[in-house]
Amino acid sequence: MHTLIGEIIESRTAEFVAEAIRYDQVPAYGSFVRVQDGNLRVYGIVSGAYTGSLDGVSKAKAFFKSIDELKMEQPQIFELLRTEFSCVVVGYAEDGRYHPYYPPIHLSLHLPVEKADDDEILTISQHLGFLEKTLNSPAGNGEELTAAAIRMAARFHPDPREYIIRAGRELLKMLNYDTQRLKSILERVDIA
Amino acid sequence: MRGTILRGSLSGGLEVRLDIGENIEEVKVGTFCVVEGRTHDFFSMVVDEDIEAANPKAFYETLSDNSLLNEVVRGTGIIDKVKIQPMIAIRREDGKVQPVKSIPSYLSRVREAREEDVFKIFGRPDRTHFHVGSPLDMDHIPVCIDLKKFIERSNGIFGKSGTGKTFYTRIMLCGMIKSGLCNVLVFDMHSEYGWEGEDEDETRKKAKGLKQLFGSKVAIFTLDPESSRNRGVHPDFVVEIPYRSIEAEDIILVREELNLNPTALEVIYVLQKHLGQDWLITFLNMDAFAIKDFADRTGAHEGALQAFQRKLFQLQRLPFIKENPADDAVERIMQYLDSGMNVVLEFGHQRSMLAYMLVANILTRRIHELYVKRSEKALGGMQGNNTPLVIVIEEAHKFLNPELSRQTIFGMIAREMRKYNVTLLVVDQRPSGIDPEVLSQLGTKIVALLTEEKDIESVLCGVNNARMLRNVLASLDTKQQAIIMGHAVPMPVVIKTRTYDETFYKEITKDEDGTFNRGLMSGPKQAFGSSAGASETDEPPPGKEFEDLMKELYGI
Repeated sequence: MHTLIGEIIESRTAEFVAEAIRYDQVPAYGSFVRVQDGNLRVYGIVSGAYTGSLDGVSKAKAFFKSIDELKMEQPQIFELLRTEFSCVVVGYAEDGRYHPYYPPIHLSLHLPVEKADDDEILTISQHLGFLEKTLNSPAGNGEELTAAAIRMAARFHPDPREYIIRAGRELLKMLNYDTQRLKSILERVDIA
Repeated sequence: MRGTILRGSLSGGLEVRLDIGENIEEVKVGTFCVVEGRTHDFFSMVVDEDIEAANPKAFYETLSDNSLLNEVVRGTGIIDKVKIQPMIAIRREDGKVQPVKSIPSYLSRVREAREEDVFKIFGRPDRTHFHVGSPLDMDHIPVCIDLKKFIERSNGIFGKSGTGKTFYTRIMLCGMIKSGLCNVLVFDMHSEYGWEGEDEDETRKKAKGLKQLFGSKVAIFTLDPESSRNRGVHPDFVVEIPYRSIEAEDIILVREELNLNPTALEVIYVLQKHLGQDWLITFLNMDAFAIKDFADRTGAHEGALQAFQRKLFQLQRLPFIKENPADDAVERIMQYLDSGMNVVLEFGHQRSMLAYMLVANILTRRIHELYVKRSEKALGGMQGNNTPLVIVIEEAHKFLNPELSRQTIFGMIAREMRKYNVTLLVVDQRPSGIDPEVLSQLGTKIVALLTEEKDIESVLCGVNNARMLRNVLASLDTKQQAIIMGHAVPMPVVIKTRTYDETFYKEITKDEDGTFNRGLMSGPKQAFGSSAGASETDEPPPGKEFEDLMKELYGI
């Protein structure tokens, strides 16, 4: 069963922005999503989200009331909100084969964005190349995003600790052996 | 040990990055390993190890209680590195063994050597390939010395006191005797090779000597029959040295022991000139008047003569020096050697350096002369038997120190005697005391632990890649570990030496066809059986057991 979570409203080669189907239903930061575009299935990692007014110009106003009170008293204001989330593109699948790099053409607009399946996440995260994309996320929150992505992906691996160590080793090379930065990332990957 | 070539040079050795998960603590210096290059296998030795960080900051920043981080960094940011020295290369295509003239390419895989690698390099044990031990951590895989090559040149066994030099020597002697490629003459200062030696191992206590193992292939000569008897040894011959065979060179050799001053040599020449061959005994028998008279006649300094005589009196205290000995020891030794036997000369209580050096030098000089003649005859096709002789001397630095090595016969043998089929096996704990020129002439060196910098330097003199082997030498165990390098092995190798125990005895006394044999009594016994010691007629000589006797009596 495919779970629709949004629709693309902005697209670049390296990232796309989607509007969430509801203002309060947004995929988790660092989670894996997919978009079917023709015979390409493009995968991305949620790299940030934003909730604001529908028109994008006016600003929400503070009411100093609880959400429940607001829903009772001012239900219309929620209708004026929208949430969009951005994703970094990490790779795509074609004819059942996964390619850990950008698709030949960037995604079309208005395509539905869905959550990726567990199996897909396992496949994508086997290729540690996605770490490089999260690390250099255009939003400038690379370390945070990388930590979140590793956290998410590790859960799908039979031995999460082993996976994190493998990812850590790859990261260290990407970080030009800067152990301080690696440390700050790994500290955000808490495994139970 | 598994890893990949990281970088390196032909002159400076190769650096190997250990694979993640490999434990550097398990990789020992001296380990024999193989680099699988694209077309060649490089047989190498681990010479050094260290820890390196791709980014040196890592050393200081990783120190945290974050075990995850530490695990990530170990092997990636901070790597365990092993330095290896390629010693020999084999082309895989045709198995051709070559000296190392190139280095393996980047990322070549490195692994520990396996049994077939050891055999490829050192050969399988056979009559001329003698199993001396096994590579580090590869027990039961035999490393062999090529005995033919070994006896071609003079060799050395070095190591600090207590590192088992005597055992290595014994093992090598057994190998040489068993192979029958040469005869050995051992100047056995501490009487530990002939019949029985001490074994520091509590469970064994005694180590069998050559006579016990090889029976009639070995003859024990002694300078001190009483000591031999006390130890239950029946010597084949008691050595006595006539005064007339002591020459100026012998006196100079023991100059230090006799406390002679440098002018003594001149005095000897004067004495020799005027007194002839019997100068020594005549001089020792002179009284004060005679000396004065002699001084007056020859113009020598009377005081110097008196002082010299006083010092030479020490020789009279050596009981084996006789005016008119009953038999000629050198002749006897030569007869035994000629008939294919091996001779161990025990010194018994005469273990002073004075006695040892004097006797060794006198005998060796004579033997040397005989061998030179023999070789010349052999060259002229007049004599068939020209079996090489290996002379074993202990405390070799006394004979071969830089001041004396040019004058003594041992220096000469070390330098050039291989032409005449006589070589030395020098056993010493202070190789730095030996003339560097002699050291560099040694073909094969078996070196146990040495810690003194000077000693390490001197045994490595004349060895390729000496710098690399330094660490290896200094990190050997104190027991049963030695590095063998030089002529008789294709590449230097660290071995755990064989244990000198029952298993060894069995193997060494076993013939190739699986039967036990202690050698046949031949030549000397028939030639001078009765004079070779009363023991032979009264009771079986040591080492001769039932089957020997049967063989002798009934020829079966």
